[in-house]
Amino acid sequence: MGTVVKIENLVKRYKELVALDHLSLEIEEGEVFGLLGPNGSGKTTTINCLLSLLSYDKGTVEIFGKKMTPVSYDIKKQIGIIMQNVAVFQELNVYENIDYFCGLYIKDKNKRKQYVEESIQFAGLEDFRKFRPKKLSGGLLRRLNIACGIAHKPRLIILDEPTVAVDPQSRNKILEGIQELNRKGATIIYTSHYMEEVEQLCTRIAIMDRGKKIAEGTKDELKRMIKNTETVTIEVLEVPESVLTELENIRHVYKASFADEKLTIECSGGKHNLIRILDVLQKENISFGRVYTELPTLNDVFLEITGKALRDKED
Amino acid sequence: MFWHNFKYELISGLRVKDVIIWLIIFPIILGGFFKIAFNSIYEKTTEFSAIPIAVTETEKNEVFHKVMSQISEGDDALFKVTYAEKNEAVKMLDKKEVYGIIFTDGGLSLSVSDNGIEQTIIKTFVEQYIRQEKIIKDTAMNHPDKLDEVILSLGNNVSANKNIPLTNGNTDYFITFFYNLIAMVALFGSITGLHISISNQGNLSPLGARKCCSPTPKSISLLAGLMGSYILQIICIIISITYVAFVLKIDFGNRLPLVYISGIIGSLMGVSLGFAVGSFGRMSTKAKEGVAMSVSMLSCFFSGLMEGDMKAIVAEKAPWFNEINPAALISDAFYCLNIYDDYDRYIKKNITMIILAVIFVIIGFMLTRRRKYASL
Repeated sequence: MGTVVKIENLVKRYKELVALDHLSLEIEEGEVFGLLGPNGSGKTTTINCLLSLLSYDKGTVEIFGKKMTPVSYDIKKQIGIIMQNVAVFQELNVYENIDYFCGLYIKDKNKRKQYVEESIQFAGLEDFRKFRPKKLSGGLLRRLNIACGIAHKPRLIILDEPTVAVDPQSRNKILEGIQELNRKGATIIYTSHYMEEVEQLCTRIAIMDRGKKIAEGTKDELKRMIKNTETVTIEVLEVPESVLTELENIRHVYKASFADEKLTIECSGGKHNLIRILDVLQKENISFGRVYTELPTLNDVFLEITGKALRDKED
Repeated sequence: MFWHNFKYELISGLRVKDVIIWLIIFPIILGGFFKIAFNSIYEKTTEFSAIPIAVTETEKNEVFHKVMSQISEGDDALFKVTYAEKNEAVKMLDKKEVYGIIFTDGGLSLSVSDNGIEQTIIKTFVEQYIRQEKIIKDTAMNHPDKLDEVILSLGNNVSANKNIPLTNGNTDYFITFFYNLIAMVALFGSITGLHISISNQGNLSPLGARKCCSPTPKSISLLAGLMGSYILQIICIIISITYVAFVLKIDFGNRLPLVYISGIIGSLMGVSLGFAVGSFGRMSTKAKEGVAMSVSMLSCFFSGLMEGDMKAIVAEKAPWFNEINPAALISDAFYCLNIYDDYDRYIKKNITMIILAVIFVIIGFMLTRRRKYASL
């Protein structure tokens, strides 16, 4: 397994704004590498610099061990790109669109025909071959966008937020497809601000904020980086301040708060935390309703590192 | 790779509704309107082309009366005659209701109040009549069956003075509108050229970004796109010229194949113009379409599409502009072909169009071939 992508000290400025701040990444062959961050964190800029679409002020980009330039056609042949915006011809139908983009990479007509058919099946567009893009639903359009990007069977596939504005059914179909591509040997770079998708898909994740990589590792490694290992939530009508203080005195509990008839207790490691918490409530004669515990999410990781939520509230 | 790109650029171009509307349907409709409008103008012109005159018969002249009756009858009447008393006739002349008064008082005498082509025609007629009066009278007396023939020849001789053609071509004033209509179709090709530029630039369209990420060199993609647009535009211009020449039956002279060639060269210039416009700056596609359409329409305006005398005004005030105005170059090429027997001016106009097309393509390539963008 070799290094497929190597980015070192990448700096990209838009006048005063630093879009990428000395970013370094290494992506190994066979990985599904996630770039996670809020809108404006620099994910798409990273992808555009990686593809040599954007000029950058400093740093180096290597793909398959070679420096990436706009005329690195031998490297480009092995890359499939699925942009955030759907990039297809409105006047061509599904089959023609896939054939067009596949033809930019594959000269052999017979081979191309086979690849286009496989791509149509992969994206589940068999019934829509003759449909033009404007006749497709949002989800189908995204699937066409993906089919156009992967028809030539690239070794490296870059997906830049491919599920934005996609219904849950199509989203699942897309995520399953990406996993299948990875199983077939493709290295995947996946950018998103949907942490659930990244958690589900990616074998390794880099979290970005304001053009910087703030954390990198597997999802377990990332979660181990933070204090929070478990969050206990209990439905209660009222909790006095003294009880909150008593709860915070329990070993491994580092924060207890009460709002909207919910008592939230954040724990850092340890066992039997729930039993100890419930003991305190019983001792204080506080009756409670439902009790549930949650393991930390990538949002917790982001929240703890940056002090802000990963996703916008409307997301 | 080139042919693959070319094939799909052509297919997608042929399916763009705007192309069909603006490059085929719109010119057909506009050409039809021109034809209807100008036909009615022609009819009015014919109706009033007979020159109004007054005849005061102090002494009855049967032969002259018969001549006047015959010469003022039918669609091609030379005169519209009003018989009146002298005072009344003079009043009509003063009010410019008639161009002249012919008095029959033994001989013929003429009174006109102004100088002009109509007065010249009346004068020529009177002189001819006086010269041929004896022949006419003899014919009326001895060979009355041949009188009509003699009178007709008199009318024809006079009419020859009315319009002395300098050329064998069609000098019809209104034909320039049809020249400009075809020029407009050629320049509307700028829209297809514009899209080639936009769809190949990573910073202007997602399609451009995707193409830039492919292993197809941009020069090949651009060339294939341009070639597709040229073919598309050539199809449209051939349809337009054929429609104007064969359906509307507008007379382009007897060198129609050369009209097609100029139309095709004009189309290449139009597509290239759009390609250059599309390569400038980072405006939205809609804004660039607006610029391309405005440039095309302004070019047609100064060439006389909306106001027939505009080209003459430009020729007087800024003659250099007609030499580089794309629409004027196209319509002038048609005009030269129709009017002049030699090919010097025609060739000059076509070479200028080719030079402009090459300049536009070079500008487009220079601006579009940028490989990395500062921002997307």
